[in-house]
Amino acid sequence: MSKPNMQLSDSQFLQGLRVGNNEVLAALYKKYYNIVLKLVVNNSGTSDAAKDIYQETIIVLYENARKPAFELNCQLQTYIYSVAKRLWLKQLKKNGHTFLIREDDEGGIADVTEDIALHQQKENDIEKAAKSLESLGEPCATLIKDFYVKKLSMDEIAEKFGYTNADNAKNQKYKCLQRLKKNFFDKNTVEQSEIEK
Amino acid sequence: MRNVDLFDNYLNGTLSAEEKTNFEIQLNSDEVFAKAFNEHKELIAALNLHNQSLELKAKLNSIHEKEFGNDAKVISISKKEKVKHFGRTALVAACTAFVVVMGAIAYVNQGVRNTTSQITELGLKLKASNEGIVEGIKEGSRNPVYAPANMEGSAFALNNEGYIITSFHIVNGSDSVFVQNNNMGRTVAKVVLTDPKLDLAVLKIDNKAITKNWQVPFSFSAKTTDIAEKVFTLGYPRKDFVYGEGNLSSQSGFSNDTCMYQISIPVNPGNSGGPLLDEQGSVIGVIRGKITDAEATGFAVKSREIIKAISILSNDSIHVANSKKPMLKGVKRTEQVKRINPYVFNVLVY
Repeated sequence: MSKPNMQLSDSQFLQGLRVGNNEVLAALYKKYYNIVLKLVVNNSGTSDAAKDIYQETIIVLYENARKPAFELNCQLQTYIYSVAKRLWLKQLKKNGHTFLIREDDEGGIADVTEDIALHQQKENDIEKAAKSLESLGEPCATLIKDFYVKKLSMDEIAEKFGYTNADNAKNQKYKCLQRLKKNFFDKNTVEQSEIEK
Repeated sequence: MRNVDLFDNYLNGTLSAEEKTNFEIQLNSDEVFAKAFNEHKELIAALNLHNQSLELKAKLNSIHEKEFGNDAKVISISKKEKVKHFGRTALVAACTAFVVVMGAIAYVNQGVRNTTSQITELGLKLKASNEGIVEGIKEGSRNPVYAPANMEGSAFALNNEGYIITSFHIVNGSDSVFVQNNNMGRTVAKVVLTDPKLDLAVLKIDNKAITKNWQVPFSFSAKTTDIAEKVFTLGYPRKDFVYGEGNLSSQSGFSNDTCMYQISIPVNPGNSGGPLLDEQGSVIGVIRGKITDAEATGFAVKSREIIKAISILSNDSIHVANSKKPMLKGVKRTEQVKRINPYVFNVLVY
């Protein structure tokens, strides 16, 4: 719901992200998209790739802005450009491209190494959680999410899943959690074999 | 109280002051306890992070769609992009052919995993054309005409209550699931449990008219079967019921997976989800797949693992047929098959 002409300063944007203001997020998203689109499209990417890189960039900013100690040492625009450039370079390398990115750094470049490292670490955890939930199966995965993420009570869970009472539901949650822990902490859990089904 | 419950209560702040003090004392003195608590916290944090990430991504996507549209190209882009888009369409089309021709074959090979995800995508794409599944009944004709399924496989009864078991990869991402055999015709089944890791799914036929007289003639063995023992399988690699026999070659599956058996029965696409039985006609496994590039080597998930997984996932509410005496012991093979036949199904997934 961004207003057509929402003019915000960099620190207003950051403050908005910190408190999780959706309007500010939308205004921010709208404001800097073209910079990243241009960067990616001018360096052998499609607009779909630009969208992915841009969204990841916003997520990096979002994650870092929510750290209490976060300080922006440059313009927000420079920060976004720098993060996007790093992410896009990484993507190019991953795809086996060796050519250099065409420079367009008129706004300067900021050192975002640490910010991207934090993001990477979070992404790894998220990926691990996603994979272990995926291999957990149903109804376990839904039950675990209902309790630990949606914070439903055991009574609510018992009713939703048709268990006789809260104790029974708790027992089932326990079994599911043990299964999930095994998946999550076992490093080889998600490896699949070369079987043709 | 179990440690896990204690951890939850501590994190939720529902321990009494005294319990809380005791908890913290134990945390500082008991290393094993502290480690378990830290792992618990780490896992819960990762679950919440995962959820936040999904929510944020959804938010960003909706902003993007609203502000820039799905297909809107803000900057006009060179031909390159158009070519790429075309390339993607072509890839999807290639997968269509793959699915239609190969039926239940799906590779789990890591390198091809992308293809698998494209198949999932495709499943959605085919949806519109599949709405005529049951509508195809011709006026005045007794035999309904069905659209071809997106994925087919085998399944068999788990107990007398209408529960049946099949492979997860067959029903994964399904819109609707039907089961059929000569005995009962075609009926709807719903997916009630899944275990992607063991590649198992439990389905239920809710139609009482079909299941009320069920007398499943086999039980699930809780023991590990010996190497070289004679085994056989039944399933629907094509529209008709097919029997295959061989021996148990190994008590472990591909890359030494101890949840699986290796068998010397040539299994085909469509066999997935079918039963693996021993001489006495007891179920010792569910056919999972075969190794790429190797003929006559099949894999089956052990019945022991199946019993365990179903007990956990269903909170012991779904029981697995397990009579002490094998009901088909000493019965001639042809007769065994005849009796088992009504409880093995062709699964059709849309």
